[in-house]
Amino acid sequence: MKNLRLKSARAALDLSQQQLAEAVGVSRQTVNAIEKGDYNPTIRLCLAICRVLGKTLDELFWEEET
Amino acid sequence: MEYKLGMVFGVAVSLTVGVLIVAVLFKKRVLDMTFDERQERARGQAFKLGFFTMMFCTAAYGISDAVLGRWIDVITGCMLCVCISVTVFAVECIRKDAYLSLKERPWQVMTLFAILAAVNLGIGALNLHSGEVVENGVLTFRAINPMVGVMMLLVLAIYAVKHLQDGSEMEEG
Repeated sequence: MKNLRLKSARAALDLSQQQLAEAVGVSRQTVNAIEKGDYNPTIRLCLAICRVLGKTLDELFWEEET
Repeated sequence: MEYKLGMVFGVAVSLTVGVLIVAVLFKKRVLDMTFDERQERARGQAFKLGFFTMMFCTAAYGISDAVLGRWIDVITGCMLCVCISVTVFAVECIRKDAYLSLKERPWQVMTLFAILAAVNLGIGALNLHSGEVVENGVLTFRAINPMVGVMMLLVLAIYAVKHLQDGSEMEEG
């Protein structure tokens, strides 16, 4: 499932995928895969992304209730 | 006996030089092994594919030798299996964007591959020209250089195609 919240949080800070990737220490393709829903990051990576984007785990990665 | 000793010495020297070159490339950060978690997982799957390819190729080589007779000498047969397995591993890594590490620069690595491909294909062409690649209907160790050259070229071509595809899909800003 696509992670649109991550994408919009990144866009709100005017960060490219490459910039976010460098900030958290992964490749751009990994950030792209997370946003497209092709890869589920570990909790460590989730926390690193939340720190950089200034968001909580719930805000970025909790599954929305249907 | 002297010929065999010479061969062993030649292999030992080549391996030593090869290891030294790789060590220098790691020292200069042209080659690097720092991958992120997604890449590590993808490489693990690629290793698995490469391993099973190696098993299949080795079995196929053994069966072909038993059924068809000696058509390739042992070292060349082994290297053929290695080249096929490494190609499968590399292609899977490239597909999953897990071939180059976080710190490797694509142009540096691809230039290195292009040089290696050119050198090996050049040596292969010389061997082909001298007619020593096949002796008494058996593919000799002189076929190893063109095999490695083709493998490098294939990896380079697949990486170039992937790079072009990624370039057109890359998100802007």
